[in-house]
Amino acid sequence: MIGNLGQKAAGWVVNVAIAMTALRTNLMRSILTTLGVMIGVFAVTLAVAVGSGAQVSVMQSINALGSNMALVFPQPDTGEGGRRSFDRGRLTMRDARAIEKQISGISDIAPQLRSNIQLVVAGRNASTNAIGATPGYGKVSNLVAESGRFITEADVRSAARVVVLGPTVARKLFGDFDPVGETIRINRAPFSVIGITESKGSSFGNDNDDIALMPISTMRQRFSGDTLAGPDDLQMLFVGFEDGVSLPQAKREMTRLLRERYRVRGKDINPFTIRTTEEFMKESAQVTGIFQIVLVAIASISLLVGGIGIMNIMLVSVTERTREIGLRMALGAKRSDIRNQFLVEAAVLCVIGGAMGLIFAIAAGTALTVYADFPVPIGVGVGIGAIIFSAFIGLLFGGYPAVRASRLSPIEALRSE
Amino acid sequence: MTKTRMNLPAGIHKIMALVETQDLVKNYELGGETVRAVDGVSLSIDRGEYVAIMGASGSGKSTFMNMIGCLDIPTSGDVRIDGIATSDRDGDALAELRNQKIGFVFQQFNLLARTTALDNVAVPLIYAGLGGDERRAKAQAKLQEMGLGDRLDHSPAKLSGGQQQRVAIARALVTEPVILLADEPTGALDSKTSEDIMQIFQTLNDQGITIIVVTHEAEIANHAKRRIEFRDGKVIEDIAVTKRRKVKP
Ligand SMILES: Nc1ncnc2c1ncn2[C@@H]1O[C@H](COP(=O)(O)OP(=O)(O)O)[C@@H](O)[C@H]1O
Ligand SMILES: [Mg+2]
Repeated sequence: MIGNLGQKAAGWVVNVAIAMTALRTNLMRSILTTLGVMIGVFAVTLAVAVGSGAQVSVMQSINALGSNMALVFPQPDTGEGGRRSFDRGRLTMRDARAIEKQISGISDIAPQLRSNIQLVVAGRNASTNAIGATPGYGKVSNLVAESGRFITEADVRSAARVVVLGPTVARKLFGDFDPVGETIRINRAPFSVIGITESKGSSFGNDNDDIALMPISTMRQRFSGDTLAGPDDLQMLFVGFEDGVSLPQAKREMTRLLRERYRVRGKDINPFTIRTTEEFMKESAQVTGIFQIVLVAIASISLLVGGIGIMNIMLVSVTERTREIGLRMALGAKRSDIRNQFLVEAAVLCVIGGAMGLIFAIAAGTALTVYADFPVPIGVGVGIGAIIFSAFIGLLFGGYPAVRASRLSPIEALRSE
Repeated sequence: MTKTRMNLPAGIHKIMALVETQDLVKNYELGGETVRAVDGVSLSIDRGEYVAIMGASGSGKSTFMNMIGCLDIPTSGDVRIDGIATSDRDGDALAELRNQKIGFVFQQFNLLARTTALDNVAVPLIYAGLGGDERRAKAQAKLQEMGLGDRLDHSPAKLSGGQQQRVAIARALVTEPVILLADEPTGALDSKTSEDIMQIFQTLNDQGITIIVVTHEAEIANHAKRRIEFRDGKVIEDIAVTKRRKVKP
């Protein structure tokens, strides 16, 4: 049994040696054929990696929002269809307080207003999307001040003219200089910079650090008084939950509460929308999954072309070496010996191509990660998978030529020119 | 061999013949016409014989040879090698039989190009399932026997015709077969080199190897002990060679 296995292993070693000789004999042709597989494996590996990278990137950006939270915003939820009894979406500070009081498991809430603002200091200026926030915003979104401090209850109560800058905005206005304590003008009013937030990086080319925060009361007075329909209206509410709270359950309870408050009946459309981070994760996993499948499918076409190249060259090789096949049969080669010889030859071609494709994919992935700030993870699993898959391509497309070679009649093969 | 035969009952050697054919027929269909390449040949060749098969071109010599070498399948009739009937054997069993019992020498040498003499000779041992070291050792020994001990690493392109044919003979013998089948082995060689090859055959036959050689040259045929003449696929003469040519060593 062991001897038999040893013999089999030795047989494969011989086949690899025969294959290497044959491939070296037609070096240029082998290289060109390998190139086809190389490009195919490169494309597929990179597609798999870019797909996983997209997944990672989306998850990162959702996590950057805060891990366990719901977003409530005043936009009619058209999801279900049905009658619409509101001319516009509704969400007020009183709703936020009601949610905080009546829903269990809430860690913090972050009611917000949003407005585009213009910041100016000593001849430099920047424009950014500002958030009118409460201290809860920092807690719900895991955002802390890296230097200085965050917005406090006192700031909100007094509608203080203070601003917390994101690192990108701070850099635009002050360069490397720490601006905490400096005064800047926002839409011509003087504001005191009280803090700089910690960097949250970027996700999908979207800079999470290009923000400014001020007390919600300040923004209401100075920047959005006329654009809001009601004096108490909110543009966004983050509701942070404690760990272990069921988000679908919490969403149902919040929906019931707000429907009661706005007296929405039956199948009528809600004047608000609630989304949870869990939903975002599921949806984006679906989207990136489809994205990945499409990418890989497109890339597979090039691998298919590479495989057809292998089959073509192996057929040529079998035809050219018909006499050799006949000779080997005369000397005692069984059908399986001949078949394996050509299978191994195709597999060797493919594995070499696959290894090169993998190396190029790793190089391209690294370049993308470094220069385009897009994660392209090619793990050990993907690497081993690529090599095994290449060998499989070899067996698949080399199979027909190899079986054809093994079916030749010894004497006819030997007599061929 | 003769010793063995003496201890056996009379007539048994007929059953124990090394190569035996029974009404062997090979037809080719060519454009609706049937070519009877081999037409009912029954004969028996014993261990230790040295047989020359002669006949005009197209008389069926090669076709007959290929069938007793188990390379070609008869249209009808039977071939027995060393008592083994071949008609009911599948391709793999025939491959094993060729590997273990038969050595082939071809007119065109049929060596693998860009492959060293050593590796060429070792090919049959791959299919015998031997390991690399054993293959190399045996191949080297056979090449040395053929006087090519200093040409182990030469590829066929760097060898003369005679040397190439000697590599091919080493390859045919490396599995220690009982029969050597040679189809026009000197057809591509000059007369001097042909004599060298004939001397090798004579030595091998003296050592007990059964040799069957196809040729259309009387010179070559006269080295054998027995001559079989083919015409139109039939045996028309089967005689002992009276005035055997001996190559002086
Ligand atoms: N593969 C083949 N197809 C058709 N006819 C063949 C084939 N091989 C041999 N023949 C015919 O069979 C006859 C015997 O051929 P062959 O055995 O090669 O003769 P020899 O070796 O004596 O010259 C010839 O008429 C030849 O044309
Ligand atoms: Mg012939």
